[in-house]
Amino acid sequence: MNIHRVTSDLVATYRTASLADKSLRVVEDHSGNLEVALDPVGAKPGDFVITIGISAARIAAGDPRITTDLTIGGIIDHWSEERWRG
Amino acid sequence: MKIFRVEGTLVATARIGNLDSHRLLVVQERIGGGKQVAVDPVGCKPGDWVIAVGSSAARDAAGSKDYPSDLTIVGIIDYWEDEGSPGDGRAASAGGEARV
Repeated sequence: MNIHRVTSDLVATYRTASLADKSLRVVEDHSGNLEVALDPVGAKPGDFVITIGISAARIAAGDPRITTDLTIGGIIDHWSEERWRG
Repeated sequence: MKIFRVEGTLVATARIGNLDSHRLLVVQERIGGGKQVAVDPVGCKPGDWVIAVGSSAARDAAGSKDYPSDLTIVGIIDYWEDEGSPGDGRAASAGGEARV
């Protein structure tokens, strides 16, 4: 699992059926690389989140048939920019 | 499997249901290296050097095939020094005490 910060919401109305109607967020890692994560939690821009990758991402999405490789698993209660970059 | 050093616990109250109440730890591949989050079914403390499994083995190691983990700690190393940081010279001091 990794620590990401939510950058923004992502709207993609025309999508594959296997993504269902799940919310998507753009997240960035500590060096600023952007990725898209499925969000079953309801994270807001600016939140630091735990992201789950590979096959566990599909289980974390609540249904293993959902085709995601990155899913937000939780919102971190206390985290700082310094700890993140350090 | 990879070797990590435990930095500390991570609290995430708002989490998906199937993450349960398992302990999550921030781990570093070496001092000053990139941070990742691992599930801890073993019971580590900050400063411990640990081995962790990734990929689908992480799900099994966390106790169930349906557990959504991509990095799970599977053991505490009795003795290890980070060769990348000779100035630090910190070694695991677990001494092999069983905490499983």
